[in-house]
Amino acid sequence: MSHVNYVVFTIVLVLFLVVTLTGFAAARWRRSEDMLHLNEWGLGGRGFGTFIGWFLIGGDLYTAYTFVAVPSAVFLSGAVAGFFAVSYTIMVFPIALIFMPRLWSVCRKHSYVTPADFIKGRFGSRSLSLAMALTGILALLPYIALQLVGIQAVLTVMGVGTTSTNTFVKDLPLIIAFLVLAIFTAVSGLRAPTLIAFIKDTLIYAMIIVAVFYIPTRIGGWGNIFAAGEAHMKAINPKTAKPNGVFIPATGNSQLAFATLALGSACALFCYPHAITATLATKRRDVIKRNMALLPIYSVMLGFIALLGYMALADKTTAANVKGPGKGNAQLAVPYLFQHMFPSWFTGIAFAAIVIGALVPAAIMSIAAANLFTRNIFKEFFRPGASARLETRVSQWVSLVVKLGALLFAIELPKTFSINLQLLGGIWILQTFPTLVSGLFTRWFHRYALLCGWLGGMIFGTIAAYKVANPTTSHWAGSTDIEFGHTVYIGVSAILLNLAISVVLTLVFKAIKVPEGRDETAAGDYTSDLEEAPAPAPAGVGAIAD
Amino acid sequence: MTQPAVRSKSPIASHPWTSTVIAVLVIADIWFTLYVPLYASATPKVGDFPFFYFYLMIYMPVTGVVLWIVYLLQKRLRPPGGYQGAAAANAEHGEVTS
Repeated sequence: MSHVNYVVFTIVLVLFLVVTLTGFAAARWRRSEDMLHLNEWGLGGRGFGTFIGWFLIGGDLYTAYTFVAVPSAVFLSGAVAGFFAVSYTIMVFPIALIFMPRLWSVCRKHSYVTPADFIKGRFGSRSLSLAMALTGILALLPYIALQLVGIQAVLTVMGVGTTSTNTFVKDLPLIIAFLVLAIFTAVSGLRAPTLIAFIKDTLIYAMIIVAVFYIPTRIGGWGNIFAAGEAHMKAINPKTAKPNGVFIPATGNSQLAFATLALGSACALFCYPHAITATLATKRRDVIKRNMALLPIYSVMLGFIALLGYMALADKTTAANVKGPGKGNAQLAVPYLFQHMFPSWFTGIAFAAIVIGALVPAAIMSIAAANLFTRNIFKEFFRPGASARLETRVSQWVSLVVKLGALLFAIELPKTFSINLQLLGGIWILQTFPTLVSGLFTRWFHRYALLCGWLGGMIFGTIAAYKVANPTTSHWAGSTDIEFGHTVYIGVSAILLNLAISVVLTLVFKAIKVPEGRDETAAGDYTSDLEEAPAPAPAGVGAIAD
Repeated sequence: MTQPAVRSKSPIASHPWTSTVIAVLVIADIWFTLYVPLYASATPKVGDFPFFYFYLMIYMPVTGVVLWIVYLLQKRLRPPGGYQGAAAANAEHGEVTS
């Protein structure tokens, strides 16, 4: 711990303690009479209004990994692999506006807690519901692990715990941070990340506003920043004999890759169980619609965060730190940039923002995964008669197990492995899109056709992602590949295959009259709304909602 | 809402213009960022920002405004007496949470 800057360390530690206390105190926030119900633990009482909902959904969608990985991708390869995230977060809101209000209504009407609950009710198919639940859990695990990778990046630059060769000792700070997170999530449920999201967003906004106005003055203005980005992207990489990246996607292939990455990721985002969990926690249909218009404010911030990648290129010290001999970890670009640009006390705040930024989504993701396990695997296949109380207890324990699994992931496996798995997770979760979204509008598709389509998309996507190679990496080198001469996001080609299988087999199964399963929902359920807040009356603090 | 109202036309059918405007706004909002050739150029520069980057940055607040208009328009589609499902949904919710 010889290189630790104690000002930075102290500020991060103090803010972490504040967050920990908030996390435990959240158990008492908007408390209802019976906390041992998944509507309470897993969905925070389903009573959040527009204001709280904005912090919750925003804090949930924009993860620490966003703050670290998006600028690092821009740093490495520019527009197509990195800045597409801006186009993606633009598209995600109009797309979500089309189907999320319907999902909210039907889930509220039938007290569904997870997307797989809805699939089971709509298609009357346990196998399809199980497929949705497993995909969700599978996609969430590496995503949670990546939150830890984000925290690790900050800890590495802070110089905390990097000297020991023993894995356990080396990662002790990370382990402690995560155990604290795991315990307060198990105790307080969704209320904890919701309350902490307020702290997270305040810190992140402070960090990004200062970064956007202050850093350019130190490194020669925006003109210089973009010039450095352009120069780096056009430079020829000696290993690949190709340019480092794309500054502006001018060729047809790079434009197609940019557009399919953005569209595929946008469709995938609201299929992730944690995004659905946050949405279902809101109290009215209008809250979601309003938030689809208000959340782009969050994306403005993402645009500037992405540009931090070019700032890191424009700042010679940072670029040298990141690319120095024996380093080459672009994940460190933003932490190094902050460390070099900011005075210690503000570096501390910025680092704390990233660490706390990781805790909020990690907590919601583990809750979402736990709900899926409890409702759609444990209750469905092992204990059909499980009471609400037992469900909640099981979810609490599973959330702990899920987080420990993610911790092992982050510590034991090489970082590139988690990042690849996250890319794969995006491709996987996208394969649930046809079932989820078609189910919200029509029962035309046959349940088993959707199941086969899902399986086809999963297999194709996994193999295609495995086969992506470049001169420096033999497998899992990226998330685009070439189909019929065009560079396309694998998630998009897999979903097209998925849809084709679903359509063809639906016609086949209907022709041979395979049973379609019972649909327990009615047309009106998809547009219904509550005129006022539901029964569990929140105490006191509820007044600030709406 | 004492009487279960006779099931009238769907909100979309009874407000064709509003519905069309909503559809156009949502589709346009997606299309103008999906169609990359429209903005993939370095010029004209806006301040120090190449056009490509300026366009995407300015697009986000625009999306917010467009979707807010969509939200306001959708309110006009709503049947005057509120949703029929509301009472039933309330009853069912109360039953489940108790």
